[in-house]
Amino acid sequence: MDLAISEDQRQILDAIDSLAKPYAAVPLHDTGFALVSDALDAELAENGFLDVMAMELGAATAVLVVERLARLPFALEAAATALVRPLLDPELPRPLCLIEEGSWRAPLRFLKPGATVVVVGDGGVRSFTAGAEHIRNAGDEVLFAYPMAYLTVLPSEMRSHDVSADVVRAAWRVGLAAEAAGLLAGALASTVTYISERKQFGRPLATFQALRHRMAEAQVLTNGVYWLALKAASSGDAGDAALAALHAQEAAKRVTYDFHQFLGAMGMTLEHPLHLWTYRLKALTSELGGRGEQALAAAEAIWG
Amino acid sequence: MDFEWDEEQRAFRDGLQAFLDETLPDDWEEFSKHGPASPALTEFARGFCGKLAENGMLFPHWPVAMGGQGLGPWHQQILAEVMWEAGEPRGGQYMNVNWIGPTMERYGSEAQKATYLPPITSGKALWCQGFSEPDSGSDLASLRTRAVRDGDVYRVNGQKIWTSYAGLADTCFLLTRTSDDKKRGITILLVPMDTPGITVRQIPSLIGEGDIHEVFFDDVVVPIGQRLGEEGQAWEIIGFSLTNERLGIPRFHLARAALDRAVAMLQARGQFSREAVRIEAARCAALCEAARNASYAIVQKRVDGLKIGAESSSARYATVMCERAVGEFVVEFLPEALAGGSAFLQMHHQRGIVAGIAAGAAEIQLNIIASHVLELPREPR
Repeated sequence: MDLAISEDQRQILDAIDSLAKPYAAVPLHDTGFALVSDALDAELAENGFLDVMAMELGAATAVLVVERLARLPFALEAAATALVRPLLDPELPRPLCLIEEGSWRAPLRFLKPGATVVVVGDGGVRSFTAGAEHIRNAGDEVLFAYPMAYLTVLPSEMRSHDVSADVVRAAWRVGLAAEAAGLLAGALASTVTYISERKQFGRPLATFQALRHRMAEAQVLTNGVYWLALKAASSGDAGDAALAALHAQEAAKRVTYDFHQFLGAMGMTLEHPLHLWTYRLKALTSELGGRGEQALAAAEAIWG
Repeated sequence: MDFEWDEEQRAFRDGLQAFLDETLPDDWEEFSKHGPASPALTEFARGFCGKLAENGMLFPHWPVAMGGQGLGPWHQQILAEVMWEAGEPRGGQYMNVNWIGPTMERYGSEAQKATYLPPITSGKALWCQGFSEPDSGSDLASLRTRAVRDGDVYRVNGQKIWTSYAGLADTCFLLTRTSDDKKRGITILLVPMDTPGITVRQIPSLIGEGDIHEVFFDDVVVPIGQRLGEEGQAWEIIGFSLTNERLGIPRFHLARAALDRAVAMLQARGQFSREAVRIEAARCAALCEAARNASYAIVQKRVDGLKIGAESSSARYATVMCERAVGEFVVEFLPEALAGGSAFLQMHHQRGIVAGIAAGAAEIQLNIIASHVLELPREPR
């Protein structure tokens, strides 16, 4: 048993912090629902931060990377690349878009021409490189803080991967939990800042116990998701992965409205950056069929 | 990072389990269902802890200098998990090896060590903790039980409440007020429970037999040699004790064991196929494992010799969440377990309510998280 972060891992996280520093603050007033940066994405990929698992640093290191990056206000595709791609082919073009067979009508995060779409289903794991002919732009109607688009059609020819759907789903769940842990931490920090500064009745909102206790509960859940994601990455166990994803989606549901509530009317605006984390969490709550499906998968893995 | 027990740790756990399998009587679950403070279990524990001591299993986590094997915090954790899952056959003596012994070693006089450590290390001692008072619960430092110096003795007057094990304990680890300075006016006295002037009344409870009491101190005479540390040093000493007992009982482990037991019962009768039941069971498991890993992260800090701060409150609150969830699961899907259908689940359910109340209420944990983890500005006082 050793839950301490290794020296290697600490150095990687420090390097990410330093690289991402220019992106840690939000350019206010000029963001829509999602904030993206091709430059940040390219820098991370070029420096190999998304390949730590492929580089034999282990899935737990990949979780640490994904979690840290999700704390940024920028949406970037890290989880699937860091945790799923090494299982398929480390050279697959990014971003990776994961879908379950049969549910491809849902909007897909990061889908754009050139992206790799990975289809996970009973027929196995297959992928293809998306072209413009496969994609319908979601337009301005997307209420999630990710770039999203629709698949219009699956190509008849796809590349098959020699890996089981269950293994890919487990890695997907770990990535989901890692990303959610970072988003929860980012949203929590953003809310902490606001309610510590905003005064009503002559004192900061954060001094009211009605908020303090719910904020503390959010911290407990965030911490739980973080550790469950690391545990699942470390054990490689399907039950652990499902528990991590379940707890992540439970936590996301529990805290998202609270955080906006605590910001009062400011919580209704696009001017405050909170939605950059919470409206990503909302998107994650529907992945892999949502909480109930994670719970059923966990029950099956644990108790049969 | 490695979330698996290593071979030696697994062997340690297996050894403890094998010892329990050999030592506990066949009707143990029924016998122990009223909790570790019941008179029957307390009496049993004096024999059982003696055998643990003889086999080097009572305090293997203590430093070698104290007579332990220097095995450290992970082994202390494993020991606690195995014992609590078995219904805590050590009774109230778990407190001795977790914090009373180490505190005595650090702050006790030579005479006190000579008096109090041998009964602890031989598995015979039972202590109670005279902390809470009727008007001093969460606000412990407001306690008023007064110890007035009178020559070579203190005269103690006041009342404690919720005192576990008081009915059968030999000695009380008693917090008293010796001056008006809120925290620096508190002094620890080690008081034999058969001292004239002490009256104990058991409080009927939801949580098991003999667990909570009122203790009245009516002009109780305590020699100054029975003071632990200096006058006014209690708050510092308790702080030291807490570093040995920051997480308290591994309730997440007992809750997970109860959940697995409940699922096995449902499976045995073919009632674990409904999705509604399976989903709730998985939610409980997620909460248990979240609490477990948050707690293990604290143990890791102890192993690494790092300062443990408010994050232990986060692990404690996570544990409260899982205790409640598992309790609710059993109530919803196995109500007969609380009506004679399962001694183990009954024991778990009775103990579960304690999680958010004893050793610092859940709301106090949330206050600590808000102030010291999230670093929110403090509430006005």
